[in-house]
Amino acid sequence: MNNLTIEGLGKCYDVAPPEGERAARFSPRELVRGIRNRLNGATEEPVQRSKLEFWALRDFSLQVAPGTILGIIGANGAGKSTLLKIIARVTPPTVGRVVGVGRVVSLLELGAGFDAEQAARENVIMNAALTGVSRAEALQCFDEIIEFAKMQEFVNTPLKFFSSGMYLRLAFAVAVKMQPRILLADEILAVGDLAFQERCLEHVEQMGREGLTVLFVSHDMEAIMRVCNRVIWLDHGKLVKDGDPEEVVTEYQNVSWSQADVARSEKGRTANRYAEIMSVRLVSAAGNEVGAPNVNEPFCLRIRFRTLRARLFVRCAADLRVRRELVFRVIDEETRELPEEGIYDAFMKIPANFLSDVNYTAGVSLGIVRDGKEYVLVNYNALSFMAYSSDTAKMGRTQRVGLVSPRLEWSVEQVEVNNVVA
Amino acid sequence: MLLELGRSLGLLAPAGEARALDHDKWVIDANRAGLRERLHEFWRYRRVLSYFSTRAVKGMYQGMSLGIFWLFARPLLPIAISAFIFGKVLAVPSDGVPYFLFFLTGSCTWMLFERGLLFVSRSFSQASSLMKKVYFPRLIAPFSAILPAVVNFGIFMVLLLGASVYYLVTQHEWYLVIGPRLVLGAAAVVLTLFFTVSVGLWTSVWMVKFPDLKFGLRYITRFWFYATPVIYPMSQVPPEHRWLVYLNPMAPLVETFKWSTLGVGEFPFGPLLSSSVVIAVVFVGGVWYFGRAEAAAVDDL
Repeated sequence: MNNLTIEGLGKCYDVAPPEGERAARFSPRELVRGIRNRLNGATEEPVQRSKLEFWALRDFSLQVAPGTILGIIGANGAGKSTLLKIIARVTPPTVGRVVGVGRVVSLLELGAGFDAEQAARENVIMNAALTGVSRAEALQCFDEIIEFAKMQEFVNTPLKFFSSGMYLRLAFAVAVKMQPRILLADEILAVGDLAFQERCLEHVEQMGREGLTVLFVSHDMEAIMRVCNRVIWLDHGKLVKDGDPEEVVTEYQNVSWSQADVARSEKGRTANRYAEIMSVRLVSAAGNEVGAPNVNEPFCLRIRFRTLRARLFVRCAADLRVRRELVFRVIDEETRELPEEGIYDAFMKIPANFLSDVNYTAGVSLGIVRDGKEYVLVNYNALSFMAYSSDTAKMGRTQRVGLVSPRLEWSVEQVEVNNVVA
Repeated sequence: MLLELGRSLGLLAPAGEARALDHDKWVIDANRAGLRERLHEFWRYRRVLSYFSTRAVKGMYQGMSLGIFWLFARPLLPIAISAFIFGKVLAVPSDGVPYFLFFLTGSCTWMLFERGLLFVSRSFSQASSLMKKVYFPRLIAPFSAILPAVVNFGIFMVLLLGASVYYLVTQHEWYLVIGPRLVLGAAAVVLTLFFTVSVGLWTSVWMVKFPDLKFGLRYITRFWFYATPVIYPMSQVPPEHRWLVYLNPMAPLVETFKWSTLGVGEFPFGPLLSSSVVIAVVFVGGVWYFGRAEAAAVDDL
């Protein structure tokens, strides 16, 4: 028996018409015209406004058995959060229905339903009320909550003095102690410190074994692979793949991160009359295109470009950014002469154990020199990728932190011997 | 056949557990819940209602450093000024009671409505950030916004009592009625509350859809104020035109309250009845309209 059944679910948003049009619709003149149309027997006002529809989720069906820890992955805007919001009843579906059994607790956003002016106890009672738990019941498990959140010394502190990590701890503790049958978690575990994340994931796993159904949205593929026993992949509101975590995540990584195509790049000029940047990809040492590179192995950034004239001089450069922060810019030290028209590949080799396991965005540029003038092609947003590390010991001292994480050599030498006078 | 009958009667229902599970079952679909279901849900979330209400009141009076004095001085000052202008300068009659007292009494119910309408209208957009994150019956928002107005009404009542004591000391006359007709005054207050929420159900949704209404509302209530017998007694309106004033549902409510507390004017039985009908219609319509619009409005926020 499933404890969550979704049938033909769809959510459509009206994309707001441009500001002017919107205002015009409510202007007195329009209103008068609308009324006159009605009076004259016109059943509907003529369809003139550009009503743009956007389906955040469409034709989505799913059955989830108790004890499933369902990972939901997909690019931004794939409909993951919309799905959770519908199940949490924050937003109603446009079509379709969801049938579920048991109490639903959602962790959609950090500290939602918390009142920053109040201390923990008041907030626990409030949150309980919002999930339909009585005051008495809430107070009963209050001590457990505080203990799980490890905030005994802050019981009487108003929440406005809490750090985001403390917020999360309290929110998570409240959520799991309300004894939900279905738990919705949206990327929320990204906030806490690692030790607490670990505890949360463990707890989620444990509760899954006890029959709790968890819907877990995350971009953290590792967490997904670790705790989930089933993963669905959404793209543009539709279900792409459903199945074994390992399988779905691998396919998702391979497809999505290598797809940031040049043609779709928003800014920058990627073609002129001399040349055109065709694609930017990551390739492994063996020459295969990869979506998510393993940072423990060397790999290359490849710029494929086409020249439209003979005898061009080009110089390549690449930027690597993390959250818009420039990590480094590498410019080819040579300007290279390309005697013939054709398609060329430029490779920038990234050594093993140099990048960290975070999300990078690469921008590339191609400087073309012709007749003493330089023309530059740029693709600021050529590619974004998530590097991962296959290190076994991820936690603790060998963990990779920072925007890059090169493995540099350390040595320790003795310089002097202490002469202890006896 | 018999088997089916037995099952439908629940005699052959499987295990107790499965039935308990059935009880926990919930459905979310594109259709809106019916009125009964919504009221039932509203009741289940009553704790949220009381929590939001008290929070609204606390929010209003938190950080008031001037303390209890200010609590009463704030509403008193504008009323004193208005009473001076209308009563002394313009010499508006007041059915034989001091004009200040007359005006204050009228303001009690009127301000309950005006303030309440303002709070209720704002409630939907104010609760928006929470609504986007957690679920609760949306009707909770407008209903919980009414308590601050009720507290405000309580402050006015204290002022009214204080003013009466003042007149007792200075003029040796006690103007307030103590008697069974106070029950009708209380009924008028309850009706006013209902009317406030009823109108607020409409305006709170409009407030989200048309943000300009934020400024428009004060404008409209100003006119409404003059259409309601607060600054003038009903006796000043020519009898053949009174029905026109009584078309305004607030007019009989304010009159009833004045009649029951000050003993001035007359009990507007017919208008009160018609106004109750209007209120009922606006209320039911408001719940319906609110329910129809809430989903779209939340997505608009």
